[in-house]
Amino acid sequence: MKRKILSALLCVAMSATMLVGCGGDSKESTDDKKAETTDDAAAGDDAAAGDDAAAGDDAAAGDDAAAGGEQKLTVWCWDPAFNIFSMEEAGKVYQKDHADFNVEVVETPWEDVQTKLTTAATSGDLSTLPDIILMQDNAFQKNVISYPDAFVDLTDSGIDFTQFGEAKTAYSVVDGKNYGVPFDNGAVIAAYRTDVLEQAGMKIDDFTDITWDEYLEKGKTVLEKTGKPLLSCQAGESDVIMMMMQSCGASLFDDEGKPALVGNAALKKVMETYAALKEAGVLVEVNDWDQYISTMTTETVAGTINGCWIMASIKTAEDQSGKWAITNMPSLVGVDNATNYSNNGGSSWAITANCQNVDLAKDFLKSTFAGSVELYENIISCGALATYLPAGESDVYAKGDDFFGGDAVSAKIVEFAGKTPSNNTGVFYYEARDAVATAMQNIVGGANIDDELQLAQETIESQMQ
Amino acid sequence: MTKTKRMNVLMYVFLTIVSLISVFPLYWMLISATNKSVDVSRGAMLPGTALIDNWKSLISQSPVGSAMLNSFKYAVILTIVALVICSLAGYGFEIYHDKGKDLVMSILLLGMMVPFVATLIPLFRMFSAAHLLNTTLGFILPTISTPFLIMMFRQSARSFPHDIIEAARIDGLNEVQIFFRMFIPTMRSTYAAAMTITFMNAWNNYLWPKVMMTQDDTITMPMLVANLTEGYVTDYGVLMLAVLICSLPTIIIFFLLQKSFAEGITGAVK
Amino acid sequence: MSQVKEPKKRKMSLERRHNLTGWAFLTPATLMIAVMSFWPMIQAFILSLQTGKANNLKFGDPLANYVRMFRDNVFMTSLGNTFLYLIIQVPIMLVLALILASMLNNKDLRCKGLFRTAIFLPCATSLVSYAIIFRSLFGVDGFINTVLVNLGILHTGYNFLGHATSAKIIIIIALIWRWTGYNMVFYLSGLQNIEYSVYEAAKIDGASPMQTFFKITVPLLKPTILLTAIMSTNGTLQLFDESVNLTKGGPANATITMSHYIYNMSFKYVPTFGYAAAMSFLIFILVAILAFVQMKVGDKRD
Repeated sequence: MKRKILSALLCVAMSATMLVGCGGDSKESTDDKKAETTDDAAAGDDAAAGDDAAAGDDAAAGDDAAAGGEQKLTVWCWDPAFNIFSMEEAGKVYQKDHADFNVEVVETPWEDVQTKLTTAATSGDLSTLPDIILMQDNAFQKNVISYPDAFVDLTDSGIDFTQFGEAKTAYSVVDGKNYGVPFDNGAVIAAYRTDVLEQAGMKIDDFTDITWDEYLEKGKTVLEKTGKPLLSCQAGESDVIMMMMQSCGASLFDDEGKPALVGNAALKKVMETYAALKEAGVLVEVNDWDQYISTMTTETVAGTINGCWIMASIKTAEDQSGKWAITNMPSLVGVDNATNYSNNGGSSWAITANCQNVDLAKDFLKSTFAGSVELYENIISCGALATYLPAGESDVYAKGDDFFGGDAVSAKIVEFAGKTPSNNTGVFYYEARDAVATAMQNIVGGANIDDELQLAQETIESQMQ
Repeated sequence: MTKTKRMNVLMYVFLTIVSLISVFPLYWMLISATNKSVDVSRGAMLPGTALIDNWKSLISQSPVGSAMLNSFKYAVILTIVALVICSLAGYGFEIYHDKGKDLVMSILLLGMMVPFVATLIPLFRMFSAAHLLNTTLGFILPTISTPFLIMMFRQSARSFPHDIIEAARIDGLNEVQIFFRMFIPTMRSTYAAAMTITFMNAWNNYLWPKVMMTQDDTITMPMLVANLTEGYVTDYGVLMLAVLICSLPTIIIFFLLQKSFAEGITGAVK
Repeated sequence: MSQVKEPKKRKMSLERRHNLTGWAFLTPATLMIAVMSFWPMIQAFILSLQTGKANNLKFGDPLANYVRMFRDNVFMTSLGNTFLYLIIQVPIMLVLALILASMLNNKDLRCKGLFRTAIFLPCATSLVSYAIIFRSLFGVDGFINTVLVNLGILHTGYNFLGHATSAKIIIIIALIWRWTGYNMVFYLSGLQNIEYSVYEAAKIDGASPMQTFFKITVPLLKPTILLTAIMSTNGTLQLFDESVNLTKGGPANATITMSHYIYNMSFKYVPTFGYAAAMSFLIFILVAILAFVQMKVGDKRD
């Protein structure tokens, strides 16, 4: 009997320790962490205080931390060959003048950055956030407007935002305040296989400064003579649609932020153009990103249109060196302010409210991504093209690229970026983007454009509640 | 005789086809891991020569060693603790069942029916208040006791013969001893199956660590794989090598344990 | 012995003691579930009564979110899709798993370990690779199309993932492929609790394999079948991975699942956690009803 009671007690005790264990162990583990990284522990302990101090009174918070001696900033970004590399290079540039400075990059995929940011901001505990995060430009408005307290206003940081392309800076401006330092360039390029064009009796110049109508006609010729479509894209993604939209400065939202799909002349033209390209077979849809890349590497298409970062993927097919050339994208016909320039993708750096040393973070960004031509010269090797205009004048940017037939592609892209119209992504960008992609798929399947736009508008309005 | 033989041949053919279909992705992973990225996207179907290059490139850009170690640590601790407390509960629910306990079991089942996305934020808030973010304990606690495991043990305890318990009681064993000395050895097959499944789930757990692990030194294998798919250029050879490494532990554990749970020692019951 | 001397009183206390031991056994696990699942669930429920974006949540009409979802055409589509998967995929998968398990339980079968491991493999394979493989297999220039064109069944490649019906079928095939082996594990381990001599006796009595399967295997595995049925129902109604990774919910939301949409509402779009929580509770209610029915039908002690 006694033993049975004992065993019962044991079980209860077991469960109790399990629960108490949460509390007890946690203390220990945070202490451990404290010993390892002073910065993080400090961030964890006075999270709430930290937010206010950081957002409210930068100077005071900055001085306090600076007095601590070690000058370290943690950063979240996601691509080792690209933005992580760039951030580390920036750290090296800054170290020259600040010997005890250190950048610690935590590799975090963009989707995880978004999930972690949303979770932390919604829970009201920002202490898990790093000092600086890299943010997709398309998500900037959404995040800053949703969680204004999670980011540091950089307007008066001394950073000269006029030195960046206007369209690019616009992504990270909310209510006239700057929240981000522009990083990589998403200027749209049209890349073509010159050898394929040649078979069809055409040259790259025939595709420069053209309209989508001309593109369609020429595309039909290329398809007929070589069997290759000019363009491939992912079904269900609206990249091509959004690039066309921005090329004439059009948006899916009006100035008040209301969805403006119904009666949007530019959008209707874009959808008609897309449907016509698809219909003619000049545009082929594939099911995912991998297949999209392989249409280029396996030479099933004669070209592509995308943000300039696509060059890095094109270049993985080393045996195609010298067979590619780039130029600007086609322009829309019959739409106001149509240009041959647009933007797709790209990202900017933001300082979070969890940063304990805001002055340091600001100064770091100011002297590197917003002030060092040298940095941009160092990182061009990984394909990171500047949106920092002075960098475009550097000799390094004027150098020819043999893969693209010796053309000075970098300088060309910086030039494109300068001519890109800015557009209003709106807070509900992703909602709208998905609704438009759905509409587009139905239209390609034979649905009526006006009906689909009406339906898409209703979907967005419902999701905006 | 010929009929049984024909049946047998049919069975082998069927099993072979099912096995081949099942194994194909692993084969493809192996092939891709030995090829260069550009050849993978071109649809390589034969082994290549880039395995060593892919390996070098993988370890140079990702902390494979520490990610494997972390994943192992989390998965092993979680599996052991979960098996103990869930089998104890499952046994308790079935062997001493009454109306009250059956009701509690039904209520517990409700615990797994809310999508994790919905409880993520409250759970995060709770763990951040308890300073459990970025800790092993933080990783394992949410899934340490699952209604599913409890129910699995409860269902299998149903076939645990009550005369054994009675006999053991007469022999003077107390209830805890009966559980440890009689139930656990008899239910070896259930434990082996539960171990495989729990290990696999713990190993592949992604959404929770993705939210609560924010430091480089706490990263798990699935997170490492996810890191490789981001970025403007994906190196498929390297990615598939990482995926392969990430899949191996579960496969090995299954292979080692399958004999135990499929050819259990029911004889011990007698 | 003691029972004979003072039968009534002694037995009562023994029963009570056993009863208490039972409670003690299940307490640790139950407490953990209460803290880790029910407490967050209660908070999520409170959240589901609030409307608004991001952190600007406020209580208003408590049913606003619950009414809203029935007017949300994307959510309604996702509800339909999810149920379609449930109705078609779960029965096929469970039956297939049961057949495979009883085949692999055969003592005379050679290479059992190899077959078992092979069939289990799909669920151990990382989602990343499996999604890529399925997409490329069913691509326009993919393996399946090449075979179909060469056999003369199709003229040109068909974009399976680009059409609503075929995309749904592919999700179902993918689910069956991935989870059959997983369910087989439970059946294999459940079969060990059936004395093998029962089978041998049946064989001697001249029972056909079919008869053995329906008369012996299925009834004796009933507790395990119940377990897997509840699990699969739950898993399918919360289906997320396949929708996100295989088809991204497309074409035109034809394959999107409820959990995928909830995730979008929480993390991809401007966060709307109140509404997301409300949709989650609808899933909860649906699973609970189905599980309740399954328990009523299958959870009887004979």
